[in-house]
Amino acid sequence: MIELTNISKKFEKKIAVQHLDLNIEKGKITMLIGPSGCGKTTTLKMINRLIDSTEGDITIEGKSIYEMNAVDLRRSIGYVIQEIGLFPHMNVFDNIAVVPRLLKWSEKKIKTRVEELLDLVTLNTSYAYKYPLQLSGGESQRVGLARALAADPEVLLMDEPFGAIDPINRAKLHESFISIQEKIEKTIVFVTHDINEAIKLGDKIAILRNGKLVQYDNVTNILYEPENEFVEQLLGHDRNIKALVLKKNRDYIVQTGFLKVQKSDSPNTIIKQMQEEGRRKAMVVDKEGKFEGLFLLEKTKQSAQPRLNFVDDPIFVEKNNNLQETFSLMIEAGESSLPVVGPRRSFLGIINLEDLFNELRAQDR
Amino acid sequence: MVWEYLIEHQQRIITLVRQHFMLFAISMVFSLVIGMIISIYASREKAGKAGKTIISITAAAQAVPSVAVIALVFLFIGIGATPAIVALVVYSLVPIVFNATSGLLSVDRKIIEAARGTGYTDRQILWKIKIPIATPVIMAGIRSAATINIGTATVAAVIGGGGLGDLIFTGIKLNRDHIIIIGAVLTSLIAIFIDTLFFYLEKKVTPRGLQVER
Repeated sequence: MIELTNISKKFEKKIAVQHLDLNIEKGKITMLIGPSGCGKTTTLKMINRLIDSTEGDITIEGKSIYEMNAVDLRRSIGYVIQEIGLFPHMNVFDNIAVVPRLLKWSEKKIKTRVEELLDLVTLNTSYAYKYPLQLSGGESQRVGLARALAADPEVLLMDEPFGAIDPINRAKLHESFISIQEKIEKTIVFVTHDINEAIKLGDKIAILRNGKLVQYDNVTNILYEPENEFVEQLLGHDRNIKALVLKKNRDYIVQTGFLKVQKSDSPNTIIKQMQEEGRRKAMVVDKEGKFEGLFLLEKTKQSAQPRLNFVDDPIFVEKNNNLQETFSLMIEAGESSLPVVGPRRSFLGIINLEDLFNELRAQDR
Repeated sequence: MVWEYLIEHQQRIITLVRQHFMLFAISMVFSLVIGMIISIYASREKAGKAGKTIISITAAAQAVPSVAVIALVFLFIGIGATPAIVALVVYSLVPIVFNATSGLLSVDRKIIEAARGTGYTDRQILWKIKIPIATPVIMAGIRSAATINIGTATVAAVIGGGGLGDLIFTGIKLNRDHIIIIGAVLTSLIAIFIDTLFFYLEKKVTPRGLQVER
């Protein structure tokens, strides 16, 4: 889709990129990562000609970008930078409408498109008339993404878009970014310095150092077959745990080792059953199979007879989430197993910490 | 005394007020156009350090007294309404260029880069991004230029510029306090009126997005 051939960029004092060859695949997210000054941002900006290369050629779908008008090229490529990139004097609607207006779309078509995009990035239509100063970092970033997607470009360039956002909101943005990409399937080039982000979002990762490509492969291969020590260092000592990001909960659900009851069952029967099986908790599921909560068996000082305590907000994980999050949740909550739910909170089974350990061990071959 | 003089010289006073406004309006229009052109050129990315230089020069120039400028204009151009206007243009240019240049230069580089990356041409970046975002700073410069202009126009009477300065200098020559008071009070009222007018204008032209509460 995007082909960089023998690309070099020399600035006055230093060489930012040297003889870079990179073939970026259509419909995939390609992460550019490396230490600061490795040339990742320069490489990104050469694709929409914010920086012109000193040497080499870049083609998009076979056509050299140097044969195109730079302004037309940029209008055909989505560009997202950190939150500050929104235009403060324009409201959300006008920010999103920037490229369609540059392309002289009709106002009616623009309005429909803006509403469509707000919906895609899960912002209420009432946001259309807010100003950037009134938005949170996460909201600004969603608007930034909507603006980049406005004219439905094939290619999206993202320059550390989530860099200025706190970790909790960043995780949320990652989730919605992944689900948006599942719908739109754009060719995305994404610059980051955060290896976790690269592993979580990327289909392929290109690792750069001193303006040269060190390794370019899909995420699994990078994790399991790092090219050299530099890549290993970048991945960190916990790369096994990082690799859990690639695994989904749904593949590790088990149907044994727990007790499933209904809330309407008689407490005494439940208690008896729990005591017989030696369980401290029981999964409560309604008639339609929806996960409602937990019964915890509690012994009191007052009487010898244990009591049932209903927990209506238990910790659970969703089947499409990744194992790394489940793993940290288990450690955090001190649980050796967690219930797994599907759409509409339907109970699917449980996931065991032991299986996660086995998975880690298997990776250590 | 004041009332009698006002009624007796009604016609002359009206003429002087009108002259004063003309001096103000004509010189402001020229300052605005020239000032904006200088600022836009000096703040271009291609202009390099020119913008910073212009800011230093205008910052220093703000310390020059108005009488000095008028004296210089008198030396080189002579007397009459035209030299008076020239002096006012030069003097009003200083705050306009200072503010407009610093305003345009202070627009966040990230925003400009986002605009360029989105597909704005250089001209569109200037008119649709830089100028609107710098509006509050530019307008503050224009407003202070306007108030200074009204005051300085009074002094311009010494080189035959006309306006309410005439009244004040007549009063001084004839040693009539009430005439001086009429000239001074009228000038002050006009200055306050112009300042208020520009205050509302500033509010009105500043994009709403820059005025909202966080």
